[in-house]
Amino acid sequence: MGLRHAKTIATRRIHKRLKLMKYHIISLGCQMNQSDTERVKTVLHSMGYSPTDDEHEASILGVIACSVRQKAIDKVYSRIAKWNRLKNRKNLITFVSGCILPSDGEKFLKLFDLVFPMSELPDLPQMVSQYGIVTPSSLQFFSGEIVKPQPVTKDSGAQAGILQPVSIKGMPASLKLNPGVDIDRFWHVDPTYSSDFEAFIPIQNGCDKFCSFCAVPYTRGREVSRPSAEIIGELKQLVENGCKSITLLGQNVNSYGLDKKGQEVSFTELLRLVGQYGDASGHEFWVYFTSPHPRDMTDDVIEVIAQYRCLAKQIHLPVQSGDDHVLLRMNRKHSMEKYRHIMHTIRTLLPDATVFTDIIVGFTGETDEQFENTRKAMEVFKYNMAYIAQYSVRPGAASSRWEDDVPADVKKARYHILSQELLKHSLPFNRQLVGKTVRVLVRGNDRKQGYLSAHTEGRIVVRFAADDNSLIGQFIDLRITSATPLSVEGEMVAVDVEKLI
Amino acid sequence: MSTDNIHPLIGIRHLTESAYVLRMERRGLSFRAGQHILLGKAGSIHNREYSVYSGEKDDFFEVLIREVDEGLVSKQLKKSIPGDQLQLEGPLGFFTIEPELIASAKFLFVATGTGIAPFHSMAGSYPQLNYTLLHGVRCASEAYERSFYAPKRHRLCASAEKTGDFHGRVTDYLRRHPATADMHIYLCGNFDMIKEVFDILEQQGVPSEQVHAEVYF
Ligand SMILES: Cc1cc2nc3c(=O)[nH]c(=O)nc-3n(C[C@H](O)[C@H](O)[C@H](O)COP(=O)(O)OP(=O)(O)OC[C@H]3O[C@@H](n4cnc5c(N)ncnc54)[C@H](O)[C@@H]3O)c2cc1C
Ligand code: SF4
Repeated sequence: MGLRHAKTIATRRIHKRLKLMKYHIISLGCQMNQSDTERVKTVLHSMGYSPTDDEHEASILGVIACSVRQKAIDKVYSRIAKWNRLKNRKNLITFVSGCILPSDGEKFLKLFDLVFPMSELPDLPQMVSQYGIVTPSSLQFFSGEIVKPQPVTKDSGAQAGILQPVSIKGMPASLKLNPGVDIDRFWHVDPTYSSDFEAFIPIQNGCDKFCSFCAVPYTRGREVSRPSAEIIGELKQLVENGCKSITLLGQNVNSYGLDKKGQEVSFTELLRLVGQYGDASGHEFWVYFTSPHPRDMTDDVIEVIAQYRCLAKQIHLPVQSGDDHVLLRMNRKHSMEKYRHIMHTIRTLLPDATVFTDIIVGFTGETDEQFENTRKAMEVFKYNMAYIAQYSVRPGAASSRWEDDVPADVKKARYHILSQELLKHSLPFNRQLVGKTVRVLVRGNDRKQGYLSAHTEGRIVVRFAADDNSLIGQFIDLRITSATPLSVEGEMVAVDVEKLI
Repeated sequence: MSTDNIHPLIGIRHLTESAYVLRMERRGLSFRAGQHILLGKAGSIHNREYSVYSGEKDDFFEVLIREVDEGLVSKQLKKSIPGDQLQLEGPLGFFTIEPELIASAKFLFVATGTGIAPFHSMAGSYPQLNYTLLHGVRCASEAYERSFYAPKRHRLCASAEKTGDFHGRVTDYLRRHPATADMHIYLCGNFDMIKEVFDILEQQGVPSEQVHAEVYF
């Protein structure tokens, strides 16, 4: 056999093997984790891996963990137990990143091959190769096609050769005091967006608020703002590429810029930059943000939303409880007086806006009277949507040291009372849409056969009869024909061709 | 490991069997009186919140800690010796005084136990501050470094013995000596005290936006 022939066979084998090298990733928890996962995917793709939904097919298995509830943490433990059994049969590598409490991180070190904070994501290729695992890119290297694994960043050239400390066996940076310190490098990784028309843009990482029920400040570290130039750059690129709905993400978006002590614009100014670009761009798109914290929510944020077309008239304003004592115990650092003021400003300056909220019922020590104050708050604020959670101990959070003393049946009853309260207010809002023509963004197929699902600028779900999937990702006008408490139904408005001409 | 947030221990001052002050090198750390930090031994994954005890202009950096039975970090830190490396993060928090109020406003500080720490920092940072400090303790030996405060500004409320300026809890004191609506009130310490004081102040007509709290969970 000639040398050339042998090389061809070897190359074919390599390519066959390359095709087989897949990754499977599980993303738990909030939108922040979903957004982070988009960047993890980019790095895995750069290493030559392709995605698979079947974990048995994968040679690299990862979890983007969430520590908000015990259930999510339990999921990580059950997954890794299964993956470690798979390891007996197959050469594979496991990793975990995301929101990890120090105490879990210590245990994960013994269970996963790699434990790293998101800020170290650009070093994943090196970590994997140092671990002695053959990756598609290293295979290509051996076949003479591609160079050694490098950290993945936009400015990879500058990084080449600089080996960052890896998290194998040593103490991972996620377990150090501030896992968010090097987050800038993470933001330099381009995301692999999971939709062509909807996207998240992280604008900030970490949290300094220390609400007593939440572990995020311990898992994601301190608030770090992403440079505004990068945010606006990513936004422009998305819009130019046809993206229609963009959500600015952060644990506390309205403290954006504060950590930079005058060297960065404020959240209001960031929104203004977005608004100005929106006006100048000639493109139609909606920009949302989540989550703001009532403590830092100022009137000028609402004023700027009122001023610019592309800033969506939908506000997510977590109240958590309508009682001052409970807010104190939750360490929310604002009073109901402050919250009422913000709601008043929203209703005055943005009369058509929808308002969503988060509420926890049955928080440690919550009395009937305190709960009643939350119900009354819902009556007054008339939310369009409320994400209501029955309190459960969240490991690592300060409140986990207190007895979870509200009985489960009381929590359940309170949950039902608030759910009913929500419907009382969302239904009239949805009903007043009937007969109106509204602009919607078509998002996908509805569960009901022959229907598509869309949402309004205020994120009210609209379903309508249509079988034309090319509408998905487009703005269209719908006439609303009927309403239920949590969604409405509409019909396509006949296009007036003459008017168009 | 970055050394940016490593502060070598200069000394430890034991105030009682369980309470102690850690003095660290400041290393340029800037903070506002009333803020807290996250503190732990360098290299340890465990840290806890502690209010800054020293003043804004001091050359060193201090925290006041009470060792908690079964507590992890408060016990670990008590064993520190000069030269030990401590790792801190911050400053954090919003329990501070608006600069424009420092010279003009009337303040009432209410603390239980080590909740006195931020007020020690405020009193040390702003000599012109017009304040009254109620310190709730069980017995007089827990009146941490009382001589630091001007006697007319400090009221020791001792609940377990008649050794303080007032025999009873800070809440009893407040019921007998009501706060006035022109006061800016800062509460620091355990949650039960803070909750009760909130109610008392509401009844006494103090506007809620003038009441600030730092709960030591
Ligand atoms: C913003 C803020 C500022 C703080 N500032 C100070 C300060 O200046 N000085 C100070 O001494 N502490 C302060 N604390 C409390 C401190 O952060 C720790 O909670 C405390 O030192 C106990 O930590 P540990 O690791 O020793 O105990 P852990 O190991 O966390 O707890 C062990 C056990 O002790 C109980 N426990 C925890 N804390 C207390 C407590 N304070 N009293 C009684 N039992 C408790 C727990 O329920 C648990 O059962 C502050 C807390 C917060 C939130
Ligand atoms: S603001 Fe509160 S709830 Fe939100 S991430 Fe921070 S600590 Fe958690």
